[in-house]
Parts: sequence; C-alpha cells; structure tokens
Amino acid sequence: MYLGIDVGSITTKMVVINEGDEILAEVYLRNNGRPLEAIQHGLESISSRLDGKTSIDGAATTGSARHLAAYLVGADLVKNEITAHSIAVIDLFPDAKTIFEIGGQDSKVIVLRTGVVVDFAMNTVCAAGTGSFLDQQAARLGISIEEFGRLALKAKQPVRVAGRCTVFAETDMIHKQQIGHSVEDIIGGLCDSLVKNYLNNVCRGKEILSPIVFQGGVAANQGIRKALEKELETDLIIPEHFGLMGAMGAAKLVRRAKPVRTQFKGFELSRKSCSTRGFECGECGNQCEVIELLIDREVVACWGDLCEKYRKSSGPITG
Amino acid sequence: MKVTFPHLGTMHIFCKAIAETSGIPYIVPPETSRRTLTLGVQHSNECICLPFKMILGNFIEALQMGADTIVMVGSGPPCRLGLYDLVQKVILEDMGLHYRWLTIPPRLTWQAIWKNYEETRELKKELSWKNILLFPYGLRMGWKKMMACEALEKLAMKVRPREVQKGETQKQLKKALSGVDEARTLRTLNDALQRGTTLLQETEQDFSRAPLKIAIVGELYTVMDPHINRGVEQKLGELGAEVTRTSWFSTHILRSLRKNKADQHSERIRFFEASKAYLGYDVGAECNLSIGEAIVRSQEGYDGVVHLMPFACMPETTASGILTRVGKDWDIPILTLILDEQEIEGRIQTLLEAFVEMLQWKRKAA
Repeated sequence: MYLGIDVGSITTKMVVINEGDEILAEVYLRNNGRPLEAIQHGLESISSRLDGKTSIDGAATTGSARHLAAYLVGADLVKNEITAHSIAVIDLFPDAKTIFEIGGQDSKVIVLRTGVVVDFAMNTVCAAGTGSFLDQQAARLGISIEEFGRLALKAKQPVRVAGRCTVFAETDMIHKQQIGHSVEDIIGGLCDSLVKNYLNNVCRGKEILSPIVFQGGVAANQGIRKALEKELETDLIIPEHFGLMGAMGAAKLVRRAKPVRTQFKGFELSRKSCSTRGFECGECGNQCEVIELLIDREVVACWGDLCEKYRKSSGPITG
Repeated sequence: MKVTFPHLGTMHIFCKAIAETSGIPYIVPPETSRRTLTLGVQHSNECICLPFKMILGNFIEALQMGADTIVMVGSGPPCRLGLYDLVQKVILEDMGLHYRWLTIPPRLTWQAIWKNYEETRELKKELSWKNILLFPYGLRMGWKKMMACEALEKLAMKVRPREVQKGETQKQLKKALSGVDEARTLRTLNDALQRGTTLLQETEQDFSRAPLKIAIVGELYTVMDPHINRGVEQKLGELGAEVTRTSWFSTHILRSLRKNKADQHSERIRFFEASKAYLGYDVGAECNLSIGEAIVRSQEGYDGVVHLMPFACMPETTASGILTRVGKDWDIPILTLILDEQEIEGRIQTLLEAFVEMLQWKRKAA
C-alpha cells in the first residue's frame, strides 16, 4: 500500500492507495497553523481506518510543507504540488486540457495537451483570490465556509466588489454591507470578483480550453464554481476527491517509483512527541535561521543552514 | 576616508580589490542578511523594488560600521533605477548618516564625466600621491578579479547540472571565489584562478547526462545577485539544468564604455534586433533584451527561459506581458518569477521544480 501526504497552507490531506490506485483510506483536516500536529493527527486517523494488516510500501509528500512532512514521516519521495496535481488528473481524465486548482494560499492553472503539462502558472507574491480569504470573510460574517457557497447561489443581484486585492475587496464589501445590500448579494459579488481576479492574473495569457478540471479545497465552494462556469461559459469537471488530488498524485508517483525498502517511520509516529525549534546561527554573515526537528526529544533532522554545518539527516530523495 | 560598496553578485570582491590595491581604506558591508533587508524595507518607500531595498540595507550597515564614502553604479533613465542613487542619498541623509557619494557612470558622457569630476574634487584632497599613483594598478586588479569571478561562475554553471553530489559545485565555487578575493597581486590572482578552475573541474561529475539548457533573462540586479533572486541560478543547476545568462558586470561595463568585444557587442545587438518584431522602440533597462534573448535562445535550441523581475518593475512588467506571446510564437516555455521581500523561497523552488519537469517531458515527447 502507498501513502500520499499533501500538507498545504490551511489543510493536510492523506490517502492510502493499493496497487490498483484504489483509495483505501483518506483524511482531510485543517492545520490550524500547526502542520506537525496535523500530520500526526492525520496519521492517527488514517491508520484507524485501515485494517491492522496493511503495510506501507512507500510514502510520498507534496504541498508547500512537503519537506517538513518528509523529514517527519520519512518519505521515499518528495514532489512539488504542480506535478502531483497533474499526475492525478492525467490518470483520471486523460482528455483534460486545463486544471484549475485553488487552495488555501495557492492558486494554480495547469495547461495540459495530450496528457502532458505544457504550461502552468501559480500566484507568487500575492494570495488574493484564494481559499484563506474566503475563510476570513466567512468568519467575519459569522457563517461556515460550507454555508458561504450555498448563500452565494442565492444571490439575486450580485454586487460589484473590487477583486484586485483582498484589502480593497474587504473595504468594498463593508461599504456595500453598510448601505444595505443583502449578505447573499455581497457573497455572490465576492465570488464573481475572485474568479475574475484569478482568470485575469493567474490565468493571464494561458490558453484555457475545455475540458477543465476544477480541484483544490475551493472547488467545494458552489459559489466559486458557478461564477467560474458563468465567466467561462462552459461546465467544469469536479473530481470526486477534488480536495485529495495532490495527495493522490503523490501516492501514485511513489507507487510507480516502487521503493525497495520504505523510509516510512510508521503510524506509531502519531504517539511520539514531535516538535521543531529554530535558532539563528551567528557563525557567519548569512545569519541562517536553522530549524531542528525533534522526535522524542532527539534531533532527527536539521535544515535552513546554507553551509550544511548542522545538517544531520541524509534527507529524502527530491525530484 | 573609508569607502564602501554594495553586495551585488561579486561586485564587493572587485571593488574591494581596487581600494585595497590603491591603499584606500574600505569597509565591506556584512553579507546581505535578513537584517539588511529589514533595514532597507524600513527606510524606503513601500512601492520601491527589492534591489533598491537590499542595496540601501547594505549601505546603512556599512555606514553604521564607519564607512564615509559610497561607491555605486549609476544607471540611466527611463527606469527608476536611474534614480537609485538620488533617492538613496536623500534617505540616508534623512537618517542622519553622513557620507560622500561617488557614482560610477553607466554611460560615459560629458555630463557623467563632469558629475564625476564634481564628486571626486573633494575626495581627491584626501588621497595621498601614493593612492593616486597606485589607482590605475588598482583598477587593473579590480578588472582582472571581476573577470576571474565571472569565469569561475560561468564554469560552475556548466559543472552544476552534472555534479554527482548535490551542492558540491556550490561549495567549490565558494572556495574558488574566496581564493580570488584573497589574492593580493596579479600573479597570485592568476594562481587563485587556476586553483579555482581545477577545484571546479575536479568536482565529481556524470558526463553521461544531457542537461536541459535554460537561459535566465530579466532585470539585471535581480539576475546578478543570488540574495535578490533567492539563488535561482543554483537551484536550476541543481535540478539538472545548464544555465546561461548574459547579464554580467563585464557586459554592462563594456557596453557602457562602448568597447565591447565583437561577440558580446553583436550578441546584445542581436537580442535588440530580435525584439523589434514585438517592440517598436527601446522601453528601457533590459526590457527589449529580455524579449530578444528569449527569441534568440529559442532559435538556438534552448529548452526554456526563466524571466526574473522585481515586483512592480516597469520595464520587466512590460516584458513579461510580451513574453507570453513570444513563448507561444516561438514554442519555448517561459517562466516569469516576480520577486519581492516576502519569504517565497519555497514557492520559487516549487515553480522551478515543476518547470524543469515540464521541460523534461517536452524533451522526451520531441
């Protein structure tokens, strides 16, 4: 069996697949800003969903905390999330020409032609138009993110919200609220503006052809889904496991790589004490911020040091 | 008098050599760190670009250490870079730091010579006859060191994608560069260059590999300084790509002196000519060259182009828009990376890994 772990900025996703790429167990949980704990919880709950005899033949990590996760769990493969997402889609939808992936802090577009990635883009300096902003606004309005999507669908006359920057968007939304627009119309307007921002910035200059697969946490949001479909005048494909695609891609990649002996440290890791500690090295002008990973109070890995003076673990295979 | 100069690629090595050889006291600012950036950000306008903030941070640190004369390369309009020295002067004065300023002119015009004369009139009084007599030798030493650094860096770019032990080339390059930095005479410099070259060549390499070929284009400070671009050149090399760039101090200085060696001269003219299909006039800075180089590299059979620019850089924002068209028209993948003060190293790594993988798939399919 193969374990794929995707540690994103907001959520952690895990899947265990068998040789036939079927999902045996899955986990989707929020990080709450503590990825180490989230990974431990994830391991605990995924192991409870597997029968005791399941053994892991390989583990792979992806997502923005893929290196941290790899050091912690002992991964055989570390893969960037753009490739992981593509692999998952290419297998499931060989005809797909475009992937929209909107997550917590990232939004990406991947252009596929005949099952191969030919172009991609990802937001770099700005996180406007991603899941975390939707989260924030839902919290401000005192509604759950699930309800947020449903309310957007009820908008009769979506208001115009500036989508260039989330700070501007928020100012705009508060103004609209204070002059008496309904919550539904404001949420509807926000969905429209986030979609426009995504298409104009992240997708600028990319050839967007149908069939389009829409995935990532934000794909759960019906409001965004509808706004995208309206703007592009086409239907989107939402994969069954739209939130787990990165983890699935990682699991598939490690299954194909077939490690001879896995580095995976086992599900018992969830019961050990895991923590990190950081310090600034003062040896030279680089002033590296060095991070040490401790399992059961023992330093198991160290990184962040340019000179590799503190580096202990050989590290997982990258690439 | 104590002169100082910013950390920009290997600029501190050859500026130091000029001062050292001529017997002029100098201070090398501490290596660019988070503190440098914090200082730069704190004291500059929020909208200004990353290279400006980094360099300002270098100056503040150097002046706090006791430097009193700043040597800085100037640039011409229309880019904001042309105003760098003027704005930085005002900021440093507002901070209550006292110093004198010496601009190395970007183009040798009468105006520049006059400015230089004005700036150096006071400074010259503090120099001894010995300093002045040794200065031409210092310049020569500086020039030789600059060429030596560039030769070593270029060699490292070739070795890196073939290295067996990841990161080994970078270690050897560091050793080689500090060897050059330590040399005091032209003869020892020559030896240091020889030793450095051997160090790099002897890095264990796998010659059976056929690395991808990637050209780095874009705004020159961002292309030349690994602190500003978060080590894009090294990262790409370690991902298995042989990297090329045409932004070097020597190319820019030779260009400004209009004394290019035939090949360098014609290369940049060739880039400029190639950009004419998309741009009717010179936008300024490296804009036209970024576009032209992407086209030329595609014709030369390169696998991809990485375009670097600081956030809000006018000429390169123009270039990035046009480059999406160039990529399609010439069938060459182009990745634009926008750099700002945020810690986006992880993001850059992700984008570069995915880019290199995409190029490998493309090569396999061809």
